[in-house]
Amino acid sequence: MNQPELIVLLQQGDESAFKKLVDEYESMVYNTALGIVQNTDDADDLTQEVFIQVYKSISSFKGESKFSTWLYRITLGKALDHEKKKKRKKRFGFVQGLFGGDDKEQMHAVEFDHPGVQMEKKERASELFNALKKIPDKQRIAFTLHKLEGQSYQEIAEIMNTTLYAVESLLGRAKTNLKKELNKYYNNIQK
Amino acid sequence: MNKHINELIEDALDSVDHLKRATPRPFLLTRIHARMNRETVSVWERTGRLISRPAVAFTGLCILLLINITVIISNKTSNEATATDQVTQSSGDEFSYTVATIYDNENAQP
Repeated sequence: MNQPELIVLLQQGDESAFKKLVDEYESMVYNTALGIVQNTDDADDLTQEVFIQVYKSISSFKGESKFSTWLYRITLGKALDHEKKKKRKKRFGFVQGLFGGDDKEQMHAVEFDHPGVQMEKKERASELFNALKKIPDKQRIAFTLHKLEGQSYQEIAEIMNTTLYAVESLLGRAKTNLKKELNKYYNNIQK
Repeated sequence: MNKHINELIEDALDSVDHLKRATPRPFLLTRIHARMNRETVSVWERTGRLISRPAVAFTGLCILLLINITVIISNKTSNEATATDQVTQSSGDEFSYTVATIYDNENAQP
């Protein structure tokens, strides 16, 4: 079954086509979400949400872009929404803390341990993921797609609906900002 | 020291190279189906919750009241108009507000 056939079957509500879709794309969706939200449970939840969204809105997929591009867009949109909600919650937790509420768990950033990182690189990777949280969303998306998903500049440009030049610029700035954040971090721990 | 920090930074940036793919928890499809079923039920729950929200309930009540008041006022106005017409008609009959012309006088009915 090739991809256009799979999409037609999905649009007809075929259950086996949906199973095939999940089998084929679960790793892509899960890893992309994991790169952004940096939490395995949240990434798992988001993966479910993405496939439900695909099931519900497959009729709106007109084939103007690649299916994987469409899927990446849904995943990134959901992951960023999730991050925004989390930040809002954190801010609320902070305000609650000011008024005597006990929300210590939400106020401390949890270090992320990506399950795919080699054992000897875990510490450095955790520091990188922490720095990733501090750079702007667009730069973070470009970096995640390139480094974690191995997407080419052209593919990233299609997913982010922008130009090749803009992607190059975003990746350059992402790297600069990450270096700044890491530098700050290493300087602090060496003091 | 700076050299050491630069090395650490480069190591951190390279730490995600050749990353192994992480896998979601098993039975993803089953969990997706379960969630879909849960969401189908919760559409009604959500509607119920939405209606029972004080702000929504109050707005709905206000709209209902407004519709009622509009209907009552419009009914009252049309009733008053009918009553005025009836009064004009009956006084016309009683006092014979008809215009008498020369033709009527000359051709009086037997």
